[in-house]
Amino acid sequence: MSEAAALEGTGPAALEVTGLAAGYGRVLALHGVGLRVPAGSVTAVLGANGAGKTTLLRAISGVLRPQAGRVLIDGDDVTGRHPEDMARLGVAHVPEGQGVIAELTVEENLRLGALWRRGHGPRKQALDQAYQRFGVLAGARRRAAGTLSGGERQMLVIARALMAQPRVLLLDEPSLGLAPRIVAQVMQLTAELRDAGLAVLLVEQNARSALSIADQGIVLNLGKVVAAADAATLAADVGLRQHYLGF
Amino acid sequence: MAEFGELTLGGISVGMIYAAIGLSLVLIWRATRILNYAQGGMAMLTTYIALTVINHTGSYWAGFAAALAAGLVLGAVIERVVIRPVESKPPLNAIVVTIGLLILIEGLAGIIFGGQYRSFPAAFSITGLHIGSAALGISSNDVFVTVAVLIAALLLAAGFRYTRAGLRLRAAAFSPQVSRLLGVRVGRTLTLGWALAGLIGALAGVLISPSIFLYPNSMDAIFVLGFTAAVIGGLDSPGGAVAGGLILGVALNYVSGYLGSDLVPLFGLAALTVVLMLRPSGLFSTAPARRV
Repeated sequence: MSEAAALEGTGPAALEVTGLAAGYGRVLALHGVGLRVPAGSVTAVLGANGAGKTTLLRAISGVLRPQAGRVLIDGDDVTGRHPEDMARLGVAHVPEGQGVIAELTVEENLRLGALWRRGHGPRKQALDQAYQRFGVLAGARRRAAGTLSGGERQMLVIARALMAQPRVLLLDEPSLGLAPRIVAQVMQLTAELRDAGLAVLLVEQNARSALSIADQGIVLNLGKVVAAADAATLAADVGLRQHYLGF
Repeated sequence: MAEFGELTLGGISVGMIYAAIGLSLVLIWRATRILNYAQGGMAMLTTYIALTVINHTGSYWAGFAAALAAGLVLGAVIERVVIRPVESKPPLNAIVVTIGLLILIEGLAGIIFGGQYRSFPAAFSITGLHIGSAALGISSNDVFVTVAVLIAALLLAAGFRYTRAGLRLRAAAFSPQVSRLLGVRVGRTLTLGWALAGLIGALAGVLISPSIFLYPNSMDAIFVLGFTAAVIGGLDSPGGAVAGGLILGVALNYVSGYLGSDLVPLFGLAALTVVLMLRPSGLFSTAPARRV
């Protein structure tokens, strides 16, 4: 896929962002960022610390109110909606680091992900599916989530996000602090979710493993997109790798 | 020895009142990290409402129900109108607001109901119970007080543990940001928390008022002891608040019985000071100490 196709494409993508600007107080951390994530694809968001990667996810999921630009889900403008509404609109944002609620049990964390859904049936079904997919969680359902290992916690927050049956998954640094073997598992899982039809926006410091599963990627620097292309092209660009990606 | 038993039983019943006030403070503290200084004033107001209903209908239980309903509504309205604007502000703002609210409520009660002491009826007989010829030191009404708070505490615990609203309340208390991302409407959850606190506070007001008379400042001392109960329990723990209330109630009843009832407020404040100095995160807390 060419750069132009990756950014523009045709027809509504599951997630489309145009000219997004956001920040903290008067300081903008994001200056007019655009991207498209079609259903069934992974877009990696790469760049150094402070490039605006986390801010981008926060502006999409409504944690931060965008100061300019638009966020479209399946073509519908949802710019500036609150995060609790975005969850209902099919956007699941898995924040970086300690997203588990340590004081609650594993099962309570999972249930929380589908609490807004109507009807006991769908909630129960989502829980059964989570345990089926994540056997390690099924064995720990009554344990406090705070007692899980780092890898198990990452599985829990992703499983919890899936409880809402989202169409768009925003993953913020899922490999952070995890052993290489676990990172590979998380990437494998992300690829499976893509194959199941999710649109995944994957923020990663670990560019090499992110590009190994991504379809497209964008590189942010100081809140601006400095490169956007399909993953193989980005991975092959020696200059880009040396300047921004560090591998 | 018989006296010791009487004092213990009597202490349990009054301790349950402190426990209820402590519980209402814990509910609010957990949800919003705000200490509600107006909790006693709110309970006083709902008790006046109960008294008015009792005088009009002649039914204690109608007044009892009216107080609980009024507490629920009052808690929700105060959170929505007064507390919501200061929730994201520095803690001092909320402290000033709840103290201001206390003064406002007590002033309003004085204007509407007058400042004179009124007696408030008890639900059951207040004459002491006996086993054979041995006095137990408690009345049927004391038993009712203990059972009522116990039931309220157990219902609350079960609600928190087993209902979806309870899960929301806990999740929003532990991690509001994550909860919002998962679709929890945290604002509504906070309103519910304050409403429940208003209800428990109203229960405490109705239960204690037969023994202390009702007047605009009548709950001030009870509030301080309820706060002490909550602090003994760690301010974060509903179970701790109940245990703290029982410990305090029994200990202060020994003080009253062996040393004189004049010393009760002094020892209550001393207990608060000592706990804050030595175990600021509470006797039952394993969390690191926190500035209060």
